[in-house]
Amino acid sequence: MVVVYTIYIFDRHCECIFYTEWNRGRSPLSDDSAGRPKSGKGPANTAHAIDRAGTHLSGDAQRPVVWPTSATSTAHRVSPESPRNTAMEEEAKLVYGVVFSTRNIINKLNAKDGPQGGNPGGFMSFATNTYRLHYFEAPTGVKFIITTDVSTTSMQPVLEMIYRNIYVEYVVKNPLFNIDPHVSTPIENDYFRAVLNNYIREISSNTAAS
Amino acid sequence: MEKQYKTIGEDAWKNNVEKVNAELFIFTYGSLVVQLVKDYEDYAAVNKQLDKMGYNIGVRLVDDIMARTSLERCSGFTATAEVISKVGFKLFLNVAPSVASWSADGKEFSLIVDDNPLNDFCELPPKAVQDGLWYSNVLCGVIRGALEMMQMQTEVEFVRDVLRGDDTSEIRVRLLRMLDEEVPASDD
Repeated sequence: MVVVYTIYIFDRHCECIFYTEWNRGRSPLSDDSAGRPKSGKGPANTAHAIDRAGTHLSGDAQRPVVWPTSATSTAHRVSPESPRNTAMEEEAKLVYGVVFSTRNIINKLNAKDGPQGGNPGGFMSFATNTYRLHYFEAPTGVKFIITTDVSTTSMQPVLEMIYRNIYVEYVVKNPLFNIDPHVSTPIENDYFRAVLNNYIREISSNTAAS
Repeated sequence: MEKQYKTIGEDAWKNNVEKVNAELFIFTYGSLVVQLVKDYEDYAAVNKQLDKMGYNIGVRLVDDIMARTSLERCSGFTATAEVISKVGFKLFLNVAPSVASWSADGKEFSLIVDDNPLNDFCELPPKAVQDGLWYSNVLCGVIRGALEMMQMQTEVEFVRDVLRGDDTSEIRVRLLRMLDEEVPASDD
């Protein structure tokens, strides 16, 4: 039984282009005090972004919240007053910092470090008392991070599957997704979200997978 | 090593690729070029546009290759050349150009495309040949875009083309520099 908590996807520019969560008690996205503008100031706030993400495609009320959207992303903020979820931005930055440094030190200890990055040292996961973080880096530099319960040891096949069959199919091959190699764009494709959500559900309920 | 890439390319081509009718593809490409020529009325601009389109295709295709094969990052530029020819070209065009004419410093090579499928059914008007249209210039852009995603900045250009009366088609690939991975912006 795999319990998945969160997924982060970072692009080549160290920007979080996708985040979603399941079974996570308290998070910057659900936390009321975090990052939302005071009520009444502008209709488009974080809650609006979540609504947008949560509707469409299926009547499933249990769709997880996602972040960022083009309304909240740092790179594509429409105007300076657009809402931003500072706590979430902070968290994404910290997560990136942790995996980036961990990967680098592992590469270094393996004497495989270089300015081109990559994951030749084979950083796969680390664990704490409460969760385990799994890491996968595509050869093109896109980084996939998933956190699960501690007892789930190998999520590498899952992360590769997400990259090969979900990310490439629904994001890279989506002509509407702006893949300009110099700018970050958040993933807002509803199909991607739906397929990813279904897949995570599937592995969560499948006892054989762990 | 060379053998190994060949096998990877062939396996992926056989098992993992949806095929599309070649003629449909070739004619679509042909009409695209014709339309560009009409729009720009200048062959140099058409070359540039094709290269740009190819670039945008390349930055996506490279992920597709990685998803269909289990290749890792190449250890050197020699390996890169082999992968482009034996895996890249094989997967998408079902040809495997030969790699030739390495420069002394190992940063430049040529891809000899003997049977470029895009050239089928195509004949260039003398004016186009004279003004320097590289009919398959999109391929250069694809290679350039794909390599940039793998942290290699390159210059790619056609130097010979059967359609212009040369005895073979040759694409020259020049490695300018390796790009460093971006590091997160510091907070202070």
